[in-house]
Amino acid sequence: MSLLVQEKEFLQKKIGRKANPTELQIVAAQWSEHCSYKSSKMHLKMLPKQGKKVISEKGLDSGVLDVGDGYVVTVHIESHNHPSAVDPYGGAATGVGGIIRDILSAGTRPIAILDSLRFGNISKDPYAKWLFKNAVRGIADYGNCLGIPTIGGEVEFDNCYKKYALVDVAAIGFGKKNRLIKNNAANGDLVVLIGGLTGRDGIGGSQFASDILQEENRSAVQIPDPFIEKLIIEAILEARNQNCIKAMKDLGGGGLACAISETADTLSVGIQVDVNKIHKREDGLSPAELMTSESQERMLIITDKKKITKLKKICKKFGVPCSVIGHVKKDKMIQVRDNKNKIALLPANVVANAPLLDRHASIPKYLKKIQKEPKIKSPQNLTKILLRMLSNPNLASKTWVYSQYDHEVGIRTVVKPGHDAAVLRLDNKKFLALKIDGNPKHCYVDPKQGAIGCFEEACRNVVCTGATPIGMIDHLQFGNPEDPEIFWTFKKSLEGISDYAKHLKIPCVGGKVSFYNETDNGPIKPTPIIGVLGLIDHAPLVSQKIMKNDLLLIVGQTKNELGGSEYYEYIHGVVGGTCPSVDFIASKLNMKSVLTCIKRGLVNASHDCSNGGLAVAVSELCIKNKIGCSVLIDKIPCKSLALDRILFSESHSRYLLVVTKKNLNTVCNLLSKNNVQFGVIGTFNGSDITFRKKAKIIVNLSVDKGRKNWLRSLEALVSNG
Amino acid sequence: MPSFRVHVIIENKPGISDPEGETILRDLVLKKSHDSVSKIRSAKMLKFEIKASDNRTAEKKVLKLCNDLRIYNPLVSQVTLETFAL
Repeated sequence: MSLLVQEKEFLQKKIGRKANPTELQIVAAQWSEHCSYKSSKMHLKMLPKQGKKVISEKGLDSGVLDVGDGYVVTVHIESHNHPSAVDPYGGAATGVGGIIRDILSAGTRPIAILDSLRFGNISKDPYAKWLFKNAVRGIADYGNCLGIPTIGGEVEFDNCYKKYALVDVAAIGFGKKNRLIKNNAANGDLVVLIGGLTGRDGIGGSQFASDILQEENRSAVQIPDPFIEKLIIEAILEARNQNCIKAMKDLGGGGLACAISETADTLSVGIQVDVNKIHKREDGLSPAELMTSESQERMLIITDKKKITKLKKICKKFGVPCSVIGHVKKDKMIQVRDNKNKIALLPANVVANAPLLDRHASIPKYLKKIQKEPKIKSPQNLTKILLRMLSNPNLASKTWVYSQYDHEVGIRTVVKPGHDAAVLRLDNKKFLALKIDGNPKHCYVDPKQGAIGCFEEACRNVVCTGATPIGMIDHLQFGNPEDPEIFWTFKKSLEGISDYAKHLKIPCVGGKVSFYNETDNGPIKPTPIIGVLGLIDHAPLVSQKIMKNDLLLIVGQTKNELGGSEYYEYIHGVVGGTCPSVDFIASKLNMKSVLTCIKRGLVNASHDCSNGGLAVAVSELCIKNKIGCSVLIDKIPCKSLALDRILFSESHSRYLLVVTKKNLNTVCNLLSKNNVQFGVIGTFNGSDITFRKKAKIIVNLSVDKGRKNWLRSLEALVSNG
Repeated sequence: MPSFRVHVIIENKPGISDPEGETILRDLVLKKSHDSVSKIRSAKMLKFEIKASDNRTAEKKVLKLCNDLRIYNPLVSQVTLETFAL
């Protein structure tokens, strides 16, 4: 149990007596970092949460955005890092299950999944390969069984995740605004547990996730069962339609203990449950085990006495086990009984609100050293370097991953994985664009600028489809928060995200914090993940095939910012330097101008310029369209920079636009009028990717050769052993 | 050298749930009112044919191979071995 001495004392003071062992276990589950956000809560307030489209109602586990015409979109993000590091298949799969239930508990149908995966160096470490393969298989199996498309995400490999895995899953829901669950309860309402059987699996999981992973506590394994999850989804949606649900909560970390205390606290009621009424997988579970078990695929529902027969009938129809385990009281207490024996009696607001911690933060010592610009000699043969960059597992095609996912089921997916952002068709003729991004390499060198960069990148990706960003979700993943240096990186990242969100008026509609991500080699690099949702009123930009003589434009300035770049780390093995920073004014201006060009139908294809830099982004366009491009470096907006830096700098706020000759003048006039920095840098033609400086050829790579490397390198790494 | 057949039975550890076994029990066996059945656990079996000096060596070799190649996840599953002379 992970209650601290001072927490035990606090509890005793609050309830006026010593808590009994069962009560202590219930409180320990709820007061774990995972469930209580005790280290982060007081800082998370800085994020802007309000916006024109945001619907915030009590007790909703996911963010809700109004997309017009009586429809809403719900969104949430969670990680399942600790369980996935122990059992990648089950951990990743149950991660998908958990997030789906968060979407469901708002009363909306889950329509899409995105995942963001991070592992150690798969080129060298067979264990990382094992984690990677099985986590992907877990997500694919679970999502595919549910008939929910996995439409996008990202995969990254970095030494800092040695023998560890970051598995972040985001889910999107869609529904009618008037069908949202209102979450209220009155004296005498019934408390119903729906779904899988409760067993000994995952006991202490949330505390386990709030501790550093150690060999001996690797016991919290959760087994996925997507088929029962699918039945739960259908049963709940039918119960919603028949008005059988007054309030609803997904059972996640901390199990029933958490679900009950949080529900009672949010709704300002008391809840009494009898553990004897819970449908169990095995006998001999203690009341404390029953209350804190993290058995998967379970939901808590509060319903009116008059509706219980109907609810039971619906559950029977779908074959979902369901038991009435208790009822709502006025007293604002949580009472646990085993038949007639009172086992625990605690005030809900005490259990649900752990004492918050004001952790110390101090600037990490490594930063000063690392932010010095390293001396790097420009390589002679940049063609060779580009080819190597294209085979870098972090930059190479992720087809091997997303080809395992069903990304089309539900027939909403208009722009599929492999593009900047995925786009879904909504029922009101609008479209929703989505992307999640992270960049631990940048965040390690500069936690604040790195985090802003992830945010901007996700925005850029969404903008490339013609969507206006309407909301964001964040998932902040760090090492042990008790270390002031780590806590400093958390605070700085959060500051960055909140500054940028305020500047662009993009509300934060959901998020999660995950601490204690530590490996045998120490803490992970700061890894905030940002998801951005964009709304398209008319039609998305579906990239058209690039034709001969089409022109390539770059919007935004290329700067001497290679700290944390793939070029420094993958090619030169150097960690450090100046990390790209976002100029808020240019960021907003470029975004707006690109959106205008796209909305006016002046752009045939667009691509965000990010990891790997300009050379990689241009190559990707060429490879996907099987056409060459000749780029004149002199036309790229930048201050005098070495050639390798121009090619591989990861400066933000840059977009590549492909336009036809006919539209060129209109686009240039529009960008000039907006005072946007841009350059017409190339023409598509032939079968080679070339970069010239005046007449001198700097890079000359055949598209075919680049394509082979880019397309096959990840698959080759995975299939060889 | 004599040959042996080693059966490696891989199943989830006791206490870890087994949706396949539970579903067969709940939705098939009990629905047809075979009330005497109280538990079903699913498992996967790999049949190895291996040359070894004796029974025990054969079993040892196969177990080491399964562990080294991560044929099962020792944190989730347990293995039982049965060896037969061929």
